[in-house]
Amino acid sequence: MKKRLTRISLIFFLVAAFPPGALAGGMFGPPQTLSAAAGGLNTAIGYLYHEDTYKNHPRHKMRHNIIYSQAAWGKSGMWEIYGRLAAADMKMSDAFRSCLPAAMNIGSEFHDYWKFFGTLGAKGFYPVNRFFGGGIFMQASYNPGKYTDETPVLYNGSFFVADLEIKNLWDINLGAGLQATLPGGIRAYAGPFVYLARADARMSHNIPGLPLGTEKTFLKNKSPGGGYFGADIPLIRGFRLNIEGQYTSRFSAGAAISYVY
Amino acid sequence: MKHSLCLVAIFAWLALFCAPASGAVSGDGKTAYAANTAAEPAMAQMPDPTDESAYDDDDDYDYDDEPFGEERVTISDPLEPVNRIAHVFNDRMYFWVLKPAAVVYKAVAPEPVRISVKNLHSHLGYPARFLSCLLQTDFTGAAEETGRFVINTLWGIGGLMDPAAGENINLEKQDTDLGETLGVYGVGHGFYIVWPVFGPSSPRDSASFIDEYLLYPPFYIRPWYASTALTALEYVNSASLRIGEYESLVGAAIDPYVAMRNAYVQYRMKSVQARQARSLLFKEETAGPPEVKEAEDEN
Repeated sequence: MKKRLTRISLIFFLVAAFPPGALAGGMFGPPQTLSAAAGGLNTAIGYLYHEDTYKNHPRHKMRHNIIYSQAAWGKSGMWEIYGRLAAADMKMSDAFRSCLPAAMNIGSEFHDYWKFFGTLGAKGFYPVNRFFGGGIFMQASYNPGKYTDETPVLYNGSFFVADLEIKNLWDINLGAGLQATLPGGIRAYAGPFVYLARADARMSHNIPGLPLGTEKTFLKNKSPGGGYFGADIPLIRGFRLNIEGQYTSRFSAGAAISYVY
Repeated sequence: MKHSLCLVAIFAWLALFCAPASGAVSGDGKTAYAANTAAEPAMAQMPDPTDESAYDDDDDYDYDDEPFGEERVTISDPLEPVNRIAHVFNDRMYFWVLKPAAVVYKAVAPEPVRISVKNLHSHLGYPARFLSCLLQTDFTGAAEETGRFVINTLWGIGGLMDPAAGENINLEKQDTDLGETLGVYGVGHGFYIVWPVFGPSSPRDSASFIDEYLLYPPFYIRPWYASTALTALEYVNSASLRIGEYESLVGAAIDPYVAMRNAYVQYRMKSVQARQARSLLFKEETAGPPEVKEAEDEN
């Protein structure tokens, strides 16, 4: 009976979908570069609260708090490349909740603190006239850090601690956007995007009923794409405020303050 | 333990040799320094600016040219023979080691990179400048330094860029140190010293070693050779941005040692006066001649 249960559990682990570990690299920003027409640098610091759900079974809600520092180089108001150094924490609901009554665990949420990661991106913009234009962007992130958390588990009278490790998180975003320049130099923008996010996950113990296994597997996002919208507002002394919302299967929002050299 | 010993040694040095600037601020608001007996042959040829009879021609004019006059500043130099040896050593170090290294470095590293390294070095000097501003009761300067630090950290890529100095923000760097802080409080130079490698200084200005080392975060990087390598990089980087300056100074001088000493003392005196003008405690004394202030009060 025990062997059979173990085998069933193992099969369950192998076929079950795993909690996602996808990463969000931060905001996308307005399609048009902020840099001077003759070419120049702009830098920014930003914060994004990112939430998403994933189609794997059972569904999990993933949350990140992301802070980042960005340096960008753009020219002619038409193109820009940028890099970011960022840090993000990770919370994942129900990561440790077992569906079998024989396995009891305390606490179900996976949580780990800030890890550094990097993002690279590029965008191009085509101005239709002084007020309107459209652009495309591509942004990719890679997180070399390991997110780990542990949960105490009681299974068939045995007590042990199981570790879950999520690492090698990366994502790619591709999107397009329309931009309108409003009075006061405010740039409003919106558009669709598609994205792909992957990560490796590994559980230290085989816990029956828990949707995680000892096998190395990859995690992926549920929605293939979503939409984003935002505004870039001039402040004083060369600073600008960028606020942005992103929607995939859940809503994310963030703000950044940039400085144009 | 080593650091404590260094501190004790520096303070003992200061206590022993830095007499308060004798008559530090005279009646006309000018600083008087100990006279040099051996140096400045060129200056000896010039008329004494305090001797009014030497400027009889000016009697016809009804304006006061005193504000435009240069103060004659000298410093005692009892260690001149030793200092000259150290000066020659530093000169050779510059031409034989530092300059060749700087030339190669300049060829390898583009100017934006070298400026970024300089910016980062300056950025990390924030604790020392902030402390000096506080001790000088220049709270505006301390606030500006803090503003610069925050802006350059956040929007200057961790200090590699200096957006705070741009025309939009225009927060001025408070280029000061603990030697100037002592000067603001009336501590005199004492006498002239040329430190091997570190260059011109005085017992008072040697307090700046605290800025450059104890209050400079990279000094605490371990192992020791990593922090030493960083210091060497800063020297070479700084030299690569100023190749030719030293050469023109010593090239134009009859006696480079005296030229260097005069330039150093003059520069430090101006710096201390500028700092006094910003100090809450001392700016009244440096605001202008007493008679001007009295006239303003009457109005």
